[in-house]
Amino acid sequence: MSVPAILISDLRFSWPGSPDLLDIDRFELGAGESLFLAGASGSGKSTLLGLIAGITPSQRGEVTVLGERMDPQRPARRDANRASQLGVIFQLFNLVPYLSPLENVLLPLRFSPERAARLRAAGLSPEQEACRLLEVLGLDSGGLERASTALSVGQQQRVAAARALLGRPGLVIADEPTSALDHDARDAFLSLLTAECQASGAALLFVSHDRSLAGRFDRAVELDAINRAAVAA
Amino acid sequence: MRAPLLTLAWKSLVNRSLSVGLTVLAIVLSVSLYLGVEKIRSGVRDSFNSTISDTDLIAGARGGALNLLLYSVFRLGDPTANMGWDSYQLIASAPNVEWTVPISLGDSHRGYRVVGTTTDYFQHYKYGRSRSLELASGRVFQDIHEVVLGAEVARQLSYRIGDSIVLSHGVGDVSFAEHSGHDFAVVGILSPTGTPVDRSVHVSLESIEAIHVGWNTGVAPRAGPAAQAADALTPDSITAVFVGVTSPIQVLGLQRQINTYSGEALSAVMPGVALSQLWDVIGAAETAFTAISFLVIIVGLSGILTALSSGLNERRREMAVLRATGARPRDIFALLVLEAASIAAAGAIIGILVTQIGFALVSGFIRTRYGLDLGGGLGLPEILVLVSVTLAGAVLGAWPAWRAQRNALADGLSIRL
Repeated sequence: MSVPAILISDLRFSWPGSPDLLDIDRFELGAGESLFLAGASGSGKSTLLGLIAGITPSQRGEVTVLGERMDPQRPARRDANRASQLGVIFQLFNLVPYLSPLENVLLPLRFSPERAARLRAAGLSPEQEACRLLEVLGLDSGGLERASTALSVGQQQRVAAARALLGRPGLVIADEPTSALDHDARDAFLSLLTAECQASGAALLFVSHDRSLAGRFDRAVELDAINRAAVAA
Repeated sequence: MRAPLLTLAWKSLVNRSLSVGLTVLAIVLSVSLYLGVEKIRSGVRDSFNSTISDTDLIAGARGGALNLLLYSVFRLGDPTANMGWDSYQLIASAPNVEWTVPISLGDSHRGYRVVGTTTDYFQHYKYGRSRSLELASGRVFQDIHEVVLGAEVARQLSYRIGDSIVLSHGVGDVSFAEHSGHDFAVVGILSPTGTPVDRSVHVSLESIEAIHVGWNTGVAPRAGPAAQAADALTPDSITAVFVGVTSPIQVLGLQRQINTYSGEALSAVMPGVALSQLWDVIGAAETAFTAISFLVIIVGLSGILTALSSGLNERRREMAVLRATGARPRDIFALLVLEAASIAAAGAIIGILVTQIGFALVSGFIRTRYGLDLGGGLGLPEILVLVSVTLAGAVLGAWPAWRAQRNALADGLSIRL
């Protein structure tokens, strides 16, 4: 069987001067699997995502993403690993304001030669692939010509999703990406995101407090249920 | 990683073009001021150090070298004594002496000094890089009661060829002892030189003698002057003499001979040496100018700190996005340092261009009006300014860059709303 997208074992983490925020014995996300992770704000969701993405160095235990360990001693390796293997979608303010929507989608290629190489190996030019993703995700060409700051929140989230998926990373993590969208836009965005992750074979870790969305994923997990620090608190 | 960051930095700057533009403008102004002051300063120094050139020695009555230089070349102050005509003739006929130009001072016209001399003055007095005096109009004096004006005298007093002027005894701004009865005709006006020649009124030695006939007591003669034959107008004494020798190696020997001449107490100075002594005294002001304009550059550059620091909090989200898409902390640092260096470099380049264009526009006017040669063209000073301003900008940018990097590390994978 292929390597899991995320494998966490014996993870403990606390911010300086605070009690343990996370204490996770074991957590696994299979390759290509989509998972709904539910948790209230302040429950350590964003911290967990930072550890998985390798932006925050772990303190105890191990985080492995697609077979690559996020080594706390090697920040440059973690950064390169993230650039190559991860797509990230934030709740809001996903776009770099001074880049066009298309340049925002192409942004990971500036930091990851691997992603660019994967596109070349598939015989795709970056611009073509970016435009294809934007089209699949429902951003009309009129949106492409506008400034990033002039896009609606829903359009911005679609551009962010296209950026996360460009160059076929193995894992997409999304931190409350739909909480700023209205009901219809949320449903449409979710359908496109899950479908496109499936199509490109990327695992999806979707974090939200809105449990009504859980049914749209392969599996749903409560953060408090796997986080022993939460039980203790 | 460099090239992608460079385009990011560029787009980020263009996006904030107003605040970035104002910061660049401040640097442009400070760099232009610095380069302008530097150009004028070196132009003035060069012009000063070449107030007189190709003259090997200046001889006059015994006194300090600076005093001799001041009255003979700059027409400032007064000679302690005159030198005898026979001493002058001895120098003029000495071996190795190629040419001599005697000058006789002591009169003035409306505050401008009158220089009694010979027509050799217009041939041998050189300034700058061996530039000769040129006539803007008219001709040199050929007879008594003819006068050749320096450029500034003619401009300030609005004299033209053919005008008639009267000289005054003494050198005060307002003199009550006029050499009345001796009207001088303006026959020539010199081109501007940027030297004291511009402020001089030139007549022949014979004219000086003619207007002083009967003034032996120091006051105006009671009766009108009798007409004098030209040969009776040979002067008894002159104020100083400019000397050119046949070969530079003769200068020291001749100087010693003049200084030790037993017939009369004389001094001879080398103008180049005396000029640089004088510049040492008055040149201290140039250091102050340089220091001030240098400080202005620092003030201009400090705008970079404001421009980058003020946007830092709003840019935390942007930095988090860059981090999430794979940027390393040092990429964040490099991005901001690049932005700072680009602002500084843009300011320096535009400032250099502004100075070049500005001086190209006014240098012709300054040359004709003041005789000052402002060296044009791009040179080592411009390159040094570009490099050091850019580096200083990068160093200043390191502070906000470090803060942005620290923020990015602290924020982790969260966007501060």
